[in-house]
Amino acid sequence: MSKVRKIIDEAKESKNPELDLVDKGISSFDEIPSLLTMLNLTRITLTHNRISVVTPALANLTNLEILNLFNNQIEELPTSLSSMPKLRILNLGMNKLSALPRGFGAFPVLEVLDLTYNNLNENSLPGNFFMIETLRALYLGDNDFENIPPEIGHLKNLQILVLRDNDLVQLPKEIGELARLRELHIQGNRLSVLPPELGNLDLTSNKSVIRMENNPWVAPIADQLQVGISHVVDYLRSETYKFVYGRHVSANAPAPPRLSERTKKSSKPKP
Amino acid sequence: MAKKSNFITLKPVESSSLYLRRMEEKTKQGVNTSDVDELEELMLNINSYDVRKTNENEPITKIPHSLNLVGFHDDRTNTDVNIAPKLPARNLKPNTNVSDMYKNTQCVRCDYGFEPHEKIVNTNGELWHPQCFVCAQCFRAFPEGIFYEFEGRKYCEHDFQMLFAPCCGRCGEFIIGRVIKAMNANWHPKCFLCEMCDKELADQGFIRHQNKALCHDCNARAKAASLGKHVCHKCHSMIDDRPLRFRGEVYHPYHFNCSSCGIELNADAREVKSRPGFTANEMNELYCLRCHDKMGIPICGACRRPIEERVVTALGKHFHVEHFVCAKCEKPFLGNRHYEKKGLAYCETHYHQLFGNLCFVCNQVIGGDVFTALNKAWCVHHFACSVCDTKMSQKTKFYEFDLKPTCKKCFDKFPAELRKRLKKAYEANPKKNSAAN
Repeated sequence: MSKVRKIIDEAKESKNPELDLVDKGISSFDEIPSLLTMLNLTRITLTHNRISVVTPALANLTNLEILNLFNNQIEELPTSLSSMPKLRILNLGMNKLSALPRGFGAFPVLEVLDLTYNNLNENSLPGNFFMIETLRALYLGDNDFENIPPEIGHLKNLQILVLRDNDLVQLPKEIGELARLRELHIQGNRLSVLPPELGNLDLTSNKSVIRMENNPWVAPIADQLQVGISHVVDYLRSETYKFVYGRHVSANAPAPPRLSERTKKSSKPKP
Repeated sequence: MAKKSNFITLKPVESSSLYLRRMEEKTKQGVNTSDVDELEELMLNINSYDVRKTNENEPITKIPHSLNLVGFHDDRTNTDVNIAPKLPARNLKPNTNVSDMYKNTQCVRCDYGFEPHEKIVNTNGELWHPQCFVCAQCFRAFPEGIFYEFEGRKYCEHDFQMLFAPCCGRCGEFIIGRVIKAMNANWHPKCFLCEMCDKELADQGFIRHQNKALCHDCNARAKAASLGKHVCHKCHSMIDDRPLRFRGEVYHPYHFNCSSCGIELNADAREVKSRPGFTANEMNELYCLRCHDKMGIPICGACRRPIEERVVTALGKHFHVEHFVCAKCEKPFLGNRHYEKKGLAYCETHYHQLFGNLCFVCNQVIGGDVFTALNKAWCVHHFACSVCDTKMSQKTKFYEFDLKPTCKKCFDKFPAELRKRLKKAYEANPKKNSAAN
């Protein structure tokens, strides 16, 4: 631990506002108490540690803009994080989160939220989750969502939405309201159709990316996907597809089965 | 000096109130003159008052009369001067028998006769004691000898005006001379003006328009305005069709011809303003629409109307300064930097917002060199592993994870099952994931 203390002391001395504590075997904030006194910090990176509890006092670092807690053992978060006035980038990927605290959506200026590889689903999101209007990138890949709440349409500034490798059986039509979306990852889900409203988005320009492989698509979509993504988007915009979609929804077919592949996710609590 | 008395007393000229007042003024001015000079000047003064002209057109007659005050001493007499008021008094011939002449006469006011050697005032054949010859209102002598007569009575100027003179409807002062009776009031000729253009109306006549006195031109204009029409600035008649605007005025188009082809103009004619090198309204010319369009005046690429002021040339077109705007926010650039893309111009903010040159980390426009990868851009110093925030250079090899750069060290720490899945996905679609290493 003396190594960590040395790094912190050096950072204090040099007044470097960015602190890297990557892969230092830290398991608790109790080991690095002086960290909480470094009010000048703008970035803390604690990737590849063993932290399981995030101290609420972390929110006292009011100048913090980037907080990276990727690959830790976090199961629960303090509500206080949401009040951090300058926090723009929050990386909580590869942890053991199965729920987010109430009021989590209160971040005033959050732009990038990474929740990749956790155990979240639509029921673990607090009511105000989609009120973070400043959000421009939301990473929810490798989680357990079956549905995405229609409130996602509130995220008017969203440019990147990653829903890769979840259990999604459908997408809300409100995704078509995300006018600035230019990156959509929905590969590895249980989707068979897409809302025609997705055709409203400009997802075929050379500045846009849509990934949708590994889904049990209905035949016409699968056929178009063989030819290319732009053909899928064109097809979604056609009258033919509106009819196909309407018929598919009213048929109320049972959702496709779960994929077995992801059940071995390491973030899953051990049975 | 003696104060001004109410009545002229029987004293030699040197002690008459008029004389005394004159003396008073002179002393005030510090000028000393001899008695004789003063007397002469006094007489001159008295006789030089003009009989004011009577105007037959005027409803009220006010004739200021000249007063001939004649003083006589033992050896001096006076002839009747009532019809020759302009004659200087000193030219009057002395008459030694004058006392006999007035023996059987009497004062018009008090009916008493005159004593020999007594001063007599004679006006238009009427004789007065000097003390009887006073204003019918204030019983004082007439200042400067001027009086006004009305219905047989004589008034000093002040009382006459107070009692009978009309007041001007504009300035409120008494009117002496010509009186204009109009609009239920009296006016000085200089005070009766057109309510729109302030021209004097006394001689040119006026027209009552909505209880306002207007000159003929203004009346025509007011009438046209109330009908929602214009009055031609040239012929002053109403413009029934569309007017032609030229140098700030409106005209019948047919008063003008095209400066180029000479054809009679219609309302479509165009005024060409401020050519280069000339100030506005200096070189204004009118052209018919046909000639105007042929003149090579630039047409705005946005509003399709000719540009007569500053021209912005961009994107191979001309624009009004205020019409050259960002294709996204529609704010004019007004000389600020603009960015062109696919035939459209954008402001800095929207160009970067739309075409992706905002840094993924700081979300600011990238000033210097740009790192472009994975459908994103970074400031050079912000390009780092998305997992451990370790800075990466152009040469650093990285993995792609959800279109985020990930260094090999971090990727190797990913759970084996995730690496396996990512590898599988990459192999299934190698072309599209070409950014991955």
